[in-house]
Amino acid sequence: MVLNGIRMGAGRWSGAPKEMESSMAHSLRENLSLVSDPHNLDHSVDEVFNMMLGAACELIPPTIIEDAETITAVVGFGGVLSGACVFRSGGATALNIAAKLTGMEFDHLDDTVKDAIGEICNMLAGAWKGKVPGLSANCGLSIPAVITGRNYEIHVQAPEFRLHHTYRFDDSVFEVTIICDGLQ
Amino acid sequence: MSEIRVLIVDDSSVMRKIVERALRQAGLGSLVVVEAATGADGLEVLKKQQVQLILSDINMPMMDGLEFLRQIRAQNLAAGVPVVMITTESSEEHVKQAILSGAQGYIRKPFTAEQVKERVLPLLTAA
Repeated sequence: MVLNGIRMGAGRWSGAPKEMESSMAHSLRENLSLVSDPHNLDHSVDEVFNMMLGAACELIPPTIIEDAETITAVVGFGGVLSGACVFRSGGATALNIAAKLTGMEFDHLDDTVKDAIGEICNMLAGAWKGKVPGLSANCGLSIPAVITGRNYEIHVQAPEFRLHHTYRFDDSVFEVTIICDGLQ
Repeated sequence: MSEIRVLIVDDSSVMRKIVERALRQAGLGSLVVVEAATGADGLEVLKKQQVQLILSDINMPMMDGLEFLRQIRAQNLAAGVPVVMITTESSEEHVKQAILSGAQGYIRKPFTAEQVKERVLPLLTAA
């Protein structure tokens, strides 16, 4: 999957004047360590899972997700920063998240589960960019895209930076990745 | 508080259910929830039904929440009915755009039922 298509779809909110975007990008580049601070991702996951699911997440070492079927949600960033927020989990974790989010029970990855995972990814993306000064107002989000299946990978050519964390709540494991493939 | 009819506009059926649950948890009284998956569907609802509150997502395909809000005003629908925008976008600029488009309130996702109550209750009381 190439992110450029998503990038083109994002940025609905990137209505900032060009000179403002340019100046913001300049300061974002100068503060790359702030933009790529891994704690922002952890805090975003905490916030979304605590408030929406009542679940406390633990950051764990990278773990191979061995479920037969996995689900991936992607929300693109567009504007002064381009890239994507990617959520990935096994099927069982997705069912658990959807159940906690909706109060319903699920036994397979139906449209409601996919919708729930897309919304989780959307909130993670929004929470993450909201934690970076200067990014919130100058970076738009795309509509979530959700993929299910097996043995697929997301490829990005030479990203500016990439944050990839694995978390656990209950017995459910999931990954969240922030990929930045461009600061204008 | 007597029956309150609420229109929830969101392209995500899950988010519509979550918002409805938060409204019910907020104990606002007897709720009748009408759902719309698009801004266009929301406008059709408003042409046929009276509601006391509108909650709308912003980031939706085809017609986003701000355009939905502008169309409500342009078509003279739901006069005096408070509109609260719900979105992951939270910068001052986004809030300003929503208010300029005619929204009376703003809820940032993720949210708690308590936050929904804090934002919505004063608007219903005022109305």
